[in-house]
Amino acid sequence: MAPLQAAHLGQYVDDCRTEIWYTLNMADNLPHLAIAGAARICAALLFLAGCGQAEPAIRIGFAGPFTGDQAAQGLDMLEGARLAVEEAVSRGGVLPGFRIELVPMDDQRNPAQAVSVAKRLAADPNVMVVVGHLNSSCTKPASAIYYEARLLHVNPVSSNPEISRQGFDTFFRVCATDDLQGPAGVRFALEELKAKRLFILDDMTTYGRGLANEFEKAARAQGLEILGHEGIAQGEKDFSPLLTKVKSLGPDLIYFAGMFPEGALLIKQKSELEIPAHFLGGDGLFEPTLITLATPRAAEGIYLTTLGADIRQVPSAQSFVRAFEAKHGHLGAYSSYAYEATRLALEAVRRAGRKDRAAVLAAMREIQEYDGILGVHTFDEKGDTTLRTIGIYTVRKGKFQFVQAAE
Amino acid sequence: MTAAELFLQQFINGLTIGSVYALIALGYTMVYGVIQLINFAHGEVFMVGAYLGLMVLLLLPPSPGGVLTALLAAGTGCALLGMLIERVAYRPLRRAPKLSVLITAIGVSFFLQNAMMLLWGAQDRYVPACFSPGRLGGGAVSITPMQAVIFAVSLFLMIALQLLIHRTPLGRAMRATAQDPLAARLVGIRVEGVVSSTFAIGSALAGVGGVLFGLHYSTINFHDGYLVGLKAFTAAVLGGIGNIPGAMAGGLLLGLLEGLGAGYLSTQWKNVFAFAVLVLVLLFRPRGLLGERVAERA
Repeated sequence: MAPLQAAHLGQYVDDCRTEIWYTLNMADNLPHLAIAGAARICAALLFLAGCGQAEPAIRIGFAGPFTGDQAAQGLDMLEGARLAVEEAVSRGGVLPGFRIELVPMDDQRNPAQAVSVAKRLAADPNVMVVVGHLNSSCTKPASAIYYEARLLHVNPVSSNPEISRQGFDTFFRVCATDDLQGPAGVRFALEELKAKRLFILDDMTTYGRGLANEFEKAARAQGLEILGHEGIAQGEKDFSPLLTKVKSLGPDLIYFAGMFPEGALLIKQKSELEIPAHFLGGDGLFEPTLITLATPRAAEGIYLTTLGADIRQVPSAQSFVRAFEAKHGHLGAYSSYAYEATRLALEAVRRAGRKDRAAVLAAMREIQEYDGILGVHTFDEKGDTTLRTIGIYTVRKGKFQFVQAAE
Repeated sequence: MTAAELFLQQFINGLTIGSVYALIALGYTMVYGVIQLINFAHGEVFMVGAYLGLMVLLLLPPSPGGVLTALLAAGTGCALLGMLIERVAYRPLRRAPKLSVLITAIGVSFFLQNAMMLLWGAQDRYVPACFSPGRLGGGAVSITPMQAVIFAVSLFLMIALQLLIHRTPLGRAMRATAQDPLAARLVGIRVEGVVSSTFAIGSALAGVGGVLFGLHYSTINFHDGYLVGLKAFTAAVLGGIGNIPGAMAGGLLLGLLEGLGAGYLSTQWKNVFAFAVLVLVLLFRPRGLLGERVAERA
């Protein structure tokens, strides 16, 4: 009886928490909160008095996890989107007569929360485009809501191939997909690490399970021996029983498709149990916090595949990297994807020339050979980019180091 | 790795998390023993303890001395917090229906969760490693220094608690209050003081458990208290709620069941396995493994 009540109340409290969090964090700075509030009231009063020049707003929704264990990645992405909007505004705006507002929405990496956030964005007539979500498990159900609302949806990093196979003409994404990432990981494991006996782990999410299945399919096609494929739950912390079992089977490579909080604990506990196998992961591990959480000693020499080449080696991305680092000190792993997706979204609004969802969507369909920071994007009929590079990274001395790019 | 080594390793894995469950389960069972309240805020006290420990570890260099200070600070801080919660949230409702207190407990739990989120942020916090990542002993079975610390601290606290309950005047007063609060009052025991001490001791154990948990898994989050608290509550019920050795046994058993379930069956099914055993135990022994067979009072 009690846990049931707790669960219902829990949902309610989650909603309240989101509200509190916005109030406190979405104003740029806590001390400025009062000033910002006062300024907003003044603006409203001026508007009411009829002597203000407040322009109507075009809103860009940005959805991702800003609280919870994946907040580090979500907030780095939000900063990428912010930078894209700020640059567009400083260059004189996107549409004459309209100001651009970025609306951050926290999905807490929870699919149910993602749907509720998507509905709020879809119901706001000022929202012309949504950029987001991080997790495929959030992007997939949310994409259906944007489709029904005829709202352009540009996705930065959800790599599950099923999302674009749903037939939603509102969906576009700027990253490569897991039907490329899985096989690229297998090729690296086979050719560079000479692995023959594999154990596969995933986090049972749309992303993790999807990527792990692509990896397993490719590994079987190459004739590699799969000792087992098991799922772990997000939010779990103790993987030592599972890893002990893996150790007793003696694989020469452990593959994990999932996100960095669980990945870090797997890497740490694998090292504590002294399992001599290689560790290879997917792009969900590509986050510097992984190395801190796992400890640099345990993370040394792990490998991971990422969506796209090393951003620091792409010439077109250098001004972005400099601008971002000047502002935030460090570059988040997914910041560039969020920046790219937001810039594309703004480009669609600019080309549409008016505040109208159908026009923005039509304009996005016209964009071909878009010269972005990740490369030149052309979108196929499913909305996927033609950029299909997969990067391989390792950890050396507590830092991610680029190894090679695989097509 | 032979089958015997594999089993021993799984046994150690299960015992590690089981020790932490046991420390927290003690608080549930002690409070239930004296005032028949399921203190649903107890998991949150554990979480606050983890953050108190983190605070100390951020100030002091990561060393065994720093860990000892963190354990003491978290224990003391949580003892005070437990007494405060009892004084502010439960004592005014002592004569109210049991359900009101239960809802208040859930309210306290939400309050603590959100307070910690606002203080420390919603992100995972990293707890610095304080013990060398090596291992003790040779062979295929490994125990990390951190695991050894968890066993040692838990064992010490459980023995100390047993001595306190059975060898001190406070322990005698606690047992008397648990048997019959009215009679205890009649023979001159300050029952409110005993209840307060019970909250303090139970919360201190949870606080220590929180620090050990944070150190072992290296990350803590404001919502960690929920699941761990639920597991510890399960452990208390498994052992027989109100029974102190039962909570210790229940915690260790739940940890072992999870560990062996995950190791030999499947990780996906480990909670199913652990809770299926709970249901089975309760079917045959409705008062838990070590619970009394008959009702203590009408």
